[in-house]
Parts: sequence; structure tokens; C-alpha cells
Amino acid sequence: MNYGILAWKNLARRPVRTALTVVGVGMATAVAVSLGGFNLGFRAAISRSIEQLGFQVMIMAKGCPYEAATLMLKGGTGLLYLPESAHEQIRTDPDIEAITPVFLGVAEKPAGGPEENTGPSAFTLIAGIERESYAKMKPWLQFKSGPGFDGGRWFSPDAAAEAVMGFEAAEYEQRKVGDLFYITVVPHGKTEPEFHAFRIVGVLERTGTQDDGTVFVPLHTAQRIFGREGQLTIVGVTLRQFNAIRMREFEGRWMSIPEVQVVSLEQVKGALVSLVGTAQTMVAAVAVIAILVAMIGVLNAILMSVYERTAEFGILKAIGAERRQIFYLVCLETLILCFAGALAGSGVAAGGAGLTDATLRRLLNLGLTQPMVLITPRLLAAAIGGAIALGLLAALWPAARAAALRPVEAIRNQE
Amino acid sequence: MKSNVYDQPFITIAIGDAMPRQFHKKPLRQKMVWRIVLLSTLFAGTRQAQAAIGCTLSNPGRDLKTLYPEMTSYREELREIRRLPESANAFEWFQERLASPLDPVYEGADTPYTFYLVFQGNRLLGYVHGVNVPGRGGVIQIFLAVDPETAAITRLFFQRLETPSSAALRDRTVRDQFQGLTLADFYMHDYFQAASPGHEADKVGRLSPPARLPPDAWTDWHAILRGVRKNLLLLDLFLFHRRHDPFFNRARELLNPKESPS
Repeated sequence: MNYGILAWKNLARRPVRTALTVVGVGMATAVAVSLGGFNLGFRAAISRSIEQLGFQVMIMAKGCPYEAATLMLKGGTGLLYLPESAHEQIRTDPDIEAITPVFLGVAEKPAGGPEENTGPSAFTLIAGIERESYAKMKPWLQFKSGPGFDGGRWFSPDAAAEAVMGFEAAEYEQRKVGDLFYITVVPHGKTEPEFHAFRIVGVLERTGTQDDGTVFVPLHTAQRIFGREGQLTIVGVTLRQFNAIRMREFEGRWMSIPEVQVVSLEQVKGALVSLVGTAQTMVAAVAVIAILVAMIGVLNAILMSVYERTAEFGILKAIGAERRQIFYLVCLETLILCFAGALAGSGVAAGGAGLTDATLRRLLNLGLTQPMVLITPRLLAAAIGGAIALGLLAALWPAARAAALRPVEAIRNQE
Repeated sequence: MKSNVYDQPFITIAIGDAMPRQFHKKPLRQKMVWRIVLLSTLFAGTRQAQAAIGCTLSNPGRDLKTLYPEMTSYREELREIRRLPESANAFEWFQERLASPLDPVYEGADTPYTFYLVFQGNRLLGYVHGVNVPGRGGVIQIFLAVDPETAAITRLFFQRLETPSSAALRDRTVRDQFQGLTLADFYMHDYFQAASPGHEADKVGRLSPPARLPPDAWTDWHAILRGVRKNLLLLDLFLFHRRHDPFFNRARELLNPKESPS
């Protein structure tokens, strides 16, 4: 007996029911694959974003975040800073592989509109850095080349009025190498804005990180124009060996400085993953419901098929078919249904990954530039395998019922 | 999360519980603030990722209502030269009439232009459109409100203009000089500038910068003139069906009598 042909013919006898069952399985598979892809992609995107910061550990002033919230929400000033001496102390730590001090400040961009005095409409993030230690920590930073950008370089150590722009900052301000760039800052302790002009000496290639929107100036220049000499916003650190034990030891050594707090970016990564954990759990619940509905659909379709074909099974058994052959035939029909549905669903999920990514970005605007949906061959294989396994599970009862039919009773009941 | 949170200059997101131990002792609100700020720092700036930067109103509802108090609704239309049926010709048309070179990096055919159509009921009150032009120390964003019938400027304002002389350049009397100008005036200016400088019919030639403008701010004044012309050209191209082309052709004929009009 050719089971494949027989199973296919049986399914083809009820094309609408077969198609609907396949669609049901396909939809459940597409949801499951998309969710799995989001789980994989989001973790990968977070990891990449964190890695591109270059730091494993950030040291910042205690209380700094509360002041930074003011800065962020109102566009004003008020970050708390840690003393530069903390950097000098911490850099002696034997576990440190690289360390870089960073000063962050926000320059307001004067706005306008049909009405006068509409206030600032934009802000530019100014990072005061030590070019050598910063570039060492972020070796992937490259200068943009091409007309208008050739000859890009970091500012000279003694050039106070030179700046390097991130890709997006340059694009937004329409700046090129050699152009001037104006910054207006209200220095700490003063009330009137001061105007500063910088010569752009380099524009960085796009990195997909916060560096793209940043204007880099020499550390001491930034401290001076913001009126914060001898102060830093963060100190970025990479350790020779980065693991939980080393991190705890490092943290313990430097938490003793009263002004600072030590933050591992691994912790931040975990926090970010847990941020969408709730959302992912909810979507997973929806996916589980979809899978259950699909299983019930498969069960219903196969059960109906078995009921309708009671006499047929009776005749098959009367002419010599064994129980296991009937059982196998029903399972094979289920397998075809589930395989076709899973294949279609996986194809839809893989083909629509871009759309899913765009939708998720719209719903969960997390500022990640890397793809948030990552559909791998392994994920597709798992989804197809899972759909078949669950489908076969749903088919056990109808198949057992069909196999257990007595030929004479089966033929009589259908007459 | 509320969508308006994302309108801040930094990206703001709240995160879960895997924070350093010392913060678990702090009140919940403080922890949330900490998380928001830290992640804002991590991802600040990444929202700007775009291929080409267009020029949109930062607060369209408020700004358009200020320009047209009687307005009841507005519509945005996004246009790009590269999406026009004959994009290469259109871009050439644009370059030729701008009378100054387009920046190959920041003024390409893929730049998105946002046109605001302002309505009172079903009646079209006006068009508002902004352009970016590179100024001396940063971008200048020049918006024009124009009459949909005459294509004349009814209002000019700067959304971005950062220069030591920005107060003088933003002055209302300086901006009001542009009221009533059309693209035809700029085309006629090309002729008068070459053939009859100082002619009383040359409205563009009569535009004057603020008194005692420092020499280094003249770059921005010229950028503003270029920006206004660029803005009017884009309006002519996308909304007025190149209605001012006869003026361009006539000016060119007069300046180069042997050349035939395009």
C-alpha cells in the first residue's frame, strides 16, 4: 500500500478543510517563529549595542542620574560630576586594561519659529574626551572619507578649538571637514550663554551607537566651556578579565570612594533584556494560545475525517489492513498537514521579518539600530519540527480510534 | 510608555530589575530615574539614523496655527526629486535654476521635502515649506509660508540659525523684506544683476542685510538668500508646476541672446 498517495488523496477530497487546517498551522508557526526571532534578535542587538560602547564598566558620580534626568527632560544643565582625581585613583587599579575619562555636556541649539523666543528646539551632545584612550577603547571608530571628508583626524592635543563630529551630528548640521561649528553653552555658575566656534577636523563613519550623534572636543576644552574644570561625567573601563568575580572585586575596591558608583554594562544588558521580558512573555502566551488553537484545529480536522471515513476504514480492515497500517495512514495525513502549514508559516515569518522588525520598532522604540528580529535556520528547523511533533500528538487519539474500529461494525454504522 | 517621552532629545526607556545591588536600597522612583538616565546615555543620538536629512517643523500644529490663525486642519506631503517621473531631468532643472552648486552630500536628489498644506475647512490657505542650507557654523533651516494662488512669500522664519549675529538676522524687519517675493523676482534678479545693477524693479537686489552686519556673518546672509531661492524652487517644482519657468527662460534669453530657451 502506498501510504503517501493514499494520504494525499484523502486530504484532497476535502480541499477547503485541508486548506483551513494548513492555514491554522501556518499562522501558529509564523507567530512562534517571529517571537523566537524577536527573542534572538533583541538579545543580539542589545549585546552589540553594549559592546559598541567599548566599556565594560562605567564609573559615574553618585546621584548623577537624578541630575541627568533634569538635563534630559528639560534640556537644561545640572549633571553631577565626579572629580577628575577619582579617575587618577582608579587608573592605578591592576585589573584595568584600558580606562578613559569622559565629560558630557549638552549644548542648546537656539530655535525659532513664526513666533519669536520659542526656546531651544534641539540639543547637541558634547563629549570631552582624551582622544588616545577613547580611540583605543573604540578601535572601530573610523573617519569618513570622500569629497568633503578626506583628511579626517582626531583633534590635536593642544588644539582647543578643534572638534570631531559623529556621523549623524555632521549630517544634521551639514558639516564637513574644515567647516566651522558653533556651540552655545551657558557655563556652570553663569547666566548668559557663551558662544564658541570649533573647526571640524574629522567626521566619523556611522557606528549605530550614541557616538553618531555626538560632537567630540578635547576633554579640557569641554570642561572649560561648561565651566567644570577638573570634573568628569563618566570614566569608562575595560578589565583584563571580565567576569562576575573580578567585577565584584573591582566594584568593592572603588565603591569606597564616596563620590562614585560602579556600574557593569553586563548588568545593564540584563536589565534591558528584562525590560522586554514582560512583553515577550505576553506575546509568548499569545503564541501558545495560537499553537493550542492550531492543535485543536488539527485534531478536529483529523477526527472529522476519521468519522466520515468509518466505513472506509472498516472496508480496509475487512480486506486485510492491520491496525498499525490504519494508525500510520492517519498519522501520515496529519504529518502532511502540519508539515505544509509549518513550512508556509516559516516562510511567511522569514519573508516578513523586515515588516515584523519595523512594527516592533514602532511599538517598542528602544533606540536600537541593529535588527531586532533574527530568524536563523535552526529556529526554522525547530519551528517545523515542533509543529509536526505537536500535530502528531493531536493526531494520536483520532488515529487510535480509527485503528481500533471493528470492520463489521464500522461498515454497518455508516450504512 | 507614552509616545511623547520619545520626543525628548534623548531616547528614554525604563528597564527591569537587574541593577547594581546598591540601587535596590533606593526608592522605586529613584531607581526608575536612574535607569531612564543610564539608558538614555547609552542610546542617545541613535534615533537620528536617516539616509538624508529633511526639514520639518518641530511643532507643526503650533507653528501653522501661528501663521494661519483661521486654519482648521493641515496635511503633510512628503516629496523627493528622485521619485519624480523624470527625476534626472528634474534634478538638472533644479540645479540650473538655483544658480549655485548643490552640495553633493547634503543636497542630493534623495533629500525628503515636507510640504505643509494648510486648510480652513476645504479652502486651501497656504503652503509652508522649509529647507536646510549650510550656514557658516551650522545648518540654517528656512521656512516660507506662500500664497497658493500667487506663489508669493507671505512669511519667512528660521527654525534653526546659530551665529553670533543670529538676533540681527532673525529680526522681524529683516525677514519682512521677503514678503511678496516670488521665484520670478529671483529670476529677474539674475538679469538685473548682470545687465542693470541697482534697477528699481530688482526686488531681490533691494533686500538688505541687517545694519552693521559683521563681515563673518555675510556668509550666513548669502546662505539665507540661497535658501529662500532653493525653497521657492522646490515649491515651484512640486506644487506650482514650474509656473515661473517663462521668467527664467526670458532672463536667460536676454542675457544670452544666441541661446535658445530650454
